Amino acid sequence: MSLHRQFSNDGKQLIITIKGKFDFSLVQEFRQAYAEINEQQPTVVIDLRETEYLDSSALGMLLNMRKSLGDRVKEIQLVNCRPEIRRILDISRFDKMFVIA
Amino acid sequence: MSVAMRVLIVDDQPANRLLLASLLNDFGYDVVLAADGHDALNNFSEWAPDIVLLDIMMPGITGYELAPKLKELAGTVHLPIIFITALDEQESLLRCLSVGGDDFLPVPFEPVVLQAKLRAHQRVRELSQSVHEKNRSLAWHSARIDREHRIVEHIFRNALSRNYLDYEHIETHLIPASMFSGDLCLVAAGPLGNLYVLLGDFTGHGLAPATGALPLSQAFFTMADRGVSVAEMVTEFNQRLLQLLPDDMFCAAIMLEISASGERLTYWNGGMPTAFLINDDGEICERLPAQHMALGILPGDDFDSRVTTHNCHSQQRIVLHSDGVTELRNQQQQIFGEQRFEDLLTSQGRIKLSQVVAELEAFRGNKELEDDVSLAILRCKPTAVKHEPAVAEAGVRLPFELKVTIGVHEMKHAEPVTILMSSLSQLPALKSQRGTIFMLLSEAYNNALEHGLLGLDSGLKDDPQGFETYYQQRTSRLDDLTDGQITIKLKFDPTERLVQVKVSDSGAGVSTLSQKDMQEERPHGRGLALLSGLTENLEWLDNGRTVQFDFRL
Repeated sequence: MSLHRQFSNDGKQLIITIKGKFDFSLVQEFRQAYAEINEQQPTVVIDLRETEYLDSSALGMLLNMRKSLGDRVKEIQLVNCRPEIRRILDISRFDKMFVIA
Repeated sequence: MSVAMRVLIVDDQPANRLLLASLLNDFGYDVVLAADGHDALNNFSEWAPDIVLLDIMMPGITGYELAPKLKELAGTVHLPIIFITALDEQESLLRCLSVGGDDFLPVPFEPVVLQAKLRAHQRVRELSQSVHEKNRSLAWHSARIDREHRIVEHIFRNALSRNYLDYEHIETHLIPASMFSGDLCLVAAGPLGNLYVLLGDFTGHGLAPATGALPLSQAFFTMADRGVSVAEMVTEFNQRLLQLLPDDMFCAAIMLEISASGERLTYWNGGMPTAFLINDDGEICERLPAQHMALGILPGDDFDSRVTTHNCHSQQRIVLHSDGVTELRNQQQQIFGEQRFEDLLTSQGRIKLSQVVAELEAFRGNKELEDDVSLAILRCKPTAVKHEPAVAEAGVRLPFELKVTIGVHEMKHAEPVTILMSSLSQLPALKSQRGTIFMLLSEAYNNALEHGLLGLDSGLKDDPQGFETYYQQRTSRLDDLTDGQITIKLKFDPTERLVQVKVSDSGAGVSTLSQKDMQEERPHGRGLALLSGLTENLEWLDNGRTVQFDFRL
């Protein structure tokens, strides 16, 4: 379980990668990962390629992020979801609030 | 003289043989004697003489006839033959030379003249021996290198056997400047259907740089299997190459990933020429320039793994090339150049790789290739690659029932659901659905703990600050918890492919959450919505102390 954040070369994307388990144990780390947003109104990309487990607390954290970032970001993308995770996001209707790619 | 030279004396006159032998012994030579041509020929290989003193007039085989035969027996190493002759007309002497003789000495002679001639021919003989020895050694080394090249080639073929160059939307063209290329194009699919492409260029060309391809390709394929991000891949490549390569060797590389949808391009370019994202009208939509140092130079802390991403679509292609393309020279020593390459790519829509290659070849003409030339064109299409085929659910699965009773100690010091999952995910029947099973158990367990035992209020989670307060309260109330237990019961029916779950807590009982809590926009209640969305027969029993549901695999 680990979290990694990195801006893209052009600063237009903030990429947050979560490995293993995404749940409330990452509450603070996750919030800090998007606490410092540059002035460029970047896109936040949550890369779930190595997220094996995720529960509703993670969904809550994603919603909180969306709420607290508001217009300071261009959009929030959830990318590289495994089929199971995609299903969980679909059931939770996250496609209405995030760009799921 | 380190090892005495051996001189063969061929003369039918015993007196002459004795005289010559005694002189030669005095000079320090090893001497063998033959009374006629047959004797000389028969014993030649055993005696292995270094120089021959040859009489012309002999019964049987004459000196003129014998000389070419001895030369033939001597093979590739020069065998000096000196005729000793009483004949002094010019014709005879010329004949001595024409049959292969190297010198002649008319009798009578001064011993010092013989000694001088022997020394001169001895030097020629030694020189010839040394050249012969070196040739043999060269031939041996050459054979050895050939063999080693074949072995390395074999290893490469095997190491790259799973290179996915057959991927239907990529075309590649690599021409090595020597037997082994220092350029490398790797293609592999990730588990999510994403596609990875790496074009690398090691310093130099030939065997040495090609060797670096082995660890790089190994790391590439292993990490592609795991489906890791480009940033993580290049960090690992850099680390490996830094550790393995000598200081003056490194690897420029562009590493890119196309998402399964073909719509998201992520790349990292370390020291490779600018790649292009071009559309089918031949317009350059994006340039993918090098933003970083090549792999294998910077130590871990200084290495920059930041990537760039672009959106792309199926009417676009990515053109990758090594500097062997733009630095290609023609007979007039002109270089092909970046501008000419860009002009070529944009000269028409949908230019084919074969056209680009033909233009490059036409430009180069007969000029020898100085560097490896590599090109790859990748179309941004949905990849449609299935990397991880669903495991065939063959064979008999055992039905089982499992009951886990979790006490306060385990709640405080362990993550019971995670531990339980690490066992359950080993079961072939459950493995492919482990993410969903985790989520279901986690929701049921957390509900039992947080509401049943700790009495937390979900309403707190409605705003971001409250969300954290909620989890702070969870921690502190759990610390204070002295009594309670949660039971998880699992029952698996392989024929129905059904997992029945029942989770109970020893708390005071709570009312089930209202419909309001199931609304989408609220950060809580979502777990219950998930439970009801993914399971069948969801039911609350025992005044909310027990939840049970069925999950069909």
